[in-house]
Amino acid sequence: MDIVPQLIANSIIAGAIYALIALGFNLIYGATKFFNLTHGVLAAIGGYAMLFFTKTAGLSIGISVILAIALTALIGWVLDRLIYKKLRERKASQMVFLVASLGAFTCLQAFLAILFTSQFQTLSVSSGDIQTFEIFGGIITYVQAIILASVIAIMIALGIFLKKSLFGKAVSAISDDEQVAKIVGINTERVIGWVFVIGSAIAGLAGILVGYDTGLEPTMGMSLLLKGVIASIIGGIGNVYGAVLGAFLLGFVENFGIWKISGEWKDAIAFTLLIIFLLARPQGILKR
Amino acid sequence: MKKLIWTIVVIAIIIVCIVAAVFGFKGSSTAPSTSTTKNQEPSTYKIGVIAPLTGDAAVYGEPAVKIYQIAVDEINAAGGINGKNIELVVQDGKCNGEGAVNAAQQLVNVVGVKAIIGGFCSGESLAAIPVAEAKNVALISPSSSSPDLTGKSKIFFRDFPSDSSQGAIIAQVAYDKGFRKIAFLQEQTDYSVGIYKAFSEKFQQLGGTVVKEEFPTAEKDFRSQLTKLKAGNPNAIFVDSQTPAASEKIFQQMKDLGWKTTVLLNDVAIGNADLVPKYKDILEGAIGAEFGVDPSNPKFKHLIDTYKTKFNAEPPYQSYAQTEYDAVYLIKDAIASVGYDGAKIAAWGHQVKDWQGASGLITIESNGDLVGGHRPEMVKNGKVVPYVK
Repeated sequence: MDIVPQLIANSIIAGAIYALIALGFNLIYGATKFFNLTHGVLAAIGGYAMLFFTKTAGLSIGISVILAIALTALIGWVLDRLIYKKLRERKASQMVFLVASLGAFTCLQAFLAILFTSQFQTLSVSSGDIQTFEIFGGIITYVQAIILASVIAIMIALGIFLKKSLFGKAVSAISDDEQVAKIVGINTERVIGWVFVIGSAIAGLAGILVGYDTGLEPTMGMSLLLKGVIASIIGGIGNVYGAVLGAFLLGFVENFGIWKISGEWKDAIAFTLLIIFLLARPQGILKR
Repeated sequence: MKKLIWTIVVIAIIIVCIVAAVFGFKGSSTAPSTSTTKNQEPSTYKIGVIAPLTGDAAVYGEPAVKIYQIAVDEINAAGGINGKNIELVVQDGKCNGEGAVNAAQQLVNVVGVKAIIGGFCSGESLAAIPVAEAKNVALISPSSSSPDLTGKSKIFFRDFPSDSSQGAIIAQVAYDKGFRKIAFLQEQTDYSVGIYKAFSEKFQQLGGTVVKEEFPTAEKDFRSQLTKLKAGNPNAIFVDSQTPAASEKIFQQMKDLGWKTTVLLNDVAIGNADLVPKYKDILEGAIGAEFGVDPSNPKFKHLIDTYKTKFNAEPPYQSYAQTEYDAVYLIKDAIASVGYDGAKIAAWGHQVKDWQGASGLITIESNGDLVGGHRPEMVKNGKVVPYVK
């Protein structure tokens, strides 16, 4: 049996999940220039909100998705207003931002574990047959196809929106120089607030889709975030297309890397790729 | 206006915090609430507990602490040991070495206990032994099953069998079924390594081959490892994970990849009451081995009934429940006969013979291992039944 088609399919699935995280992370990083660790736990919150709305509240999938994404976006925005805005006003150092976001990350993760227990849970109905597609000998499930479609749709929408709209121009002005942007009359705080809303909403969607694909655990945020960050850095931090490109590159390198050697090397391979990029091409594949 | 919004936000957060706190207290009612209030005076026997209370393995630790507390409450209600009550001091071992060392340090050096029930996971016990050994504190594990623990220390003993019997029994059954090539997916924990070693040694000795892939505990994406293993055309796959969470992800992804084959399971998977019915299509015909329970044993029945009335649910992982319950009573009998002295309790533990507990007649060898062991089982029509050819 030839395993190459399936490895390609696996790489694309992994890449698509990393890309969903990287897109939101990259957007927020572009505007605020800080390493937002809470982005990982926001994905977990999205997944658990979905679990609550569908299984506990018994709402339909469509309504639940909208509510879960809205809730995640709201929490992302509140975090910015309550913590990061204050730190920006105080001109706190990068270190303070990092530690504050680590604190918020840990707190929210503990919250999820208390409310939903630390048991592994899935959003999908596990019994019964799974709808799958076969593409050139590789198998992809229905959920994975949705993940892939979402990534492409969000990438294109975000790319066009940031390039064409006034809001997008404001974001790029802020990421060039926040002070100057303020001086020329951009309401930077409002723009950053919206950046958090959009970025967190994407994270929420990522969490929901991961919940359907692999399942939910309160601790899922950190590993998702780390892979998303690696993808952002190798793709080109602050660049929408770069994030997606980096995510797929990471997916392929990871899954083909363990073709001939044992699978426990996967994380080592991912981080080696990161270090190679940091040394040889720190700006990433695509520059901003 | 802006101020108003802020006030609302702050009030909302406070409410959420209060709700969470109430939930939290309800959720963690495992803390020894009854005995601590009763035992304010220092004249109690403090017994340490190391069990995973956070992470994937918390699914074992949470019920374990409940069962320890049931046994302790019973003993205290019956007059304690020589009139003194037992008090549990619970620490989170996190199912890893680092967590267990911190927990053991706290119990041994700060609280000053002379006996510890734990660790729960093999990795916890292996790491806690040196800390306990330094101060001659007795360790009894109701669940650590790694073969590496056999004869490890004179202060450690267990009323749960070693996995050398589990792995070897599954290997024999698989070989007898005509399997010659087994794909093995192993989590990187001491427990899972122990089962792999015992299984592959026996299976290769019989003449079969084992192809192994390992994964770290946090792994979520098994697709490429499964793709590789499947391509080798094995007769069966042995899913050797430490927690049901990892097993579930693997089963789900096997389904996603459309791989149907015989699954071999370790005892934490086949002993999980939820897992088998949930994945019954992929687990039909699966083989495993478990240190089973005897529902006709009156002590076991009593334990299950008490748990049910107290928590309104059947205890999960009943083969652990019985040894957890017995571990508390073993410590009680040890203190009653040799006093509150770690070295003496451990020495007593190494010569237990035909001690009647909820898990049957317990005899412990001089190497600290329980005599007797696992029985083969299979999944038939979505239920776990004793293995038949």
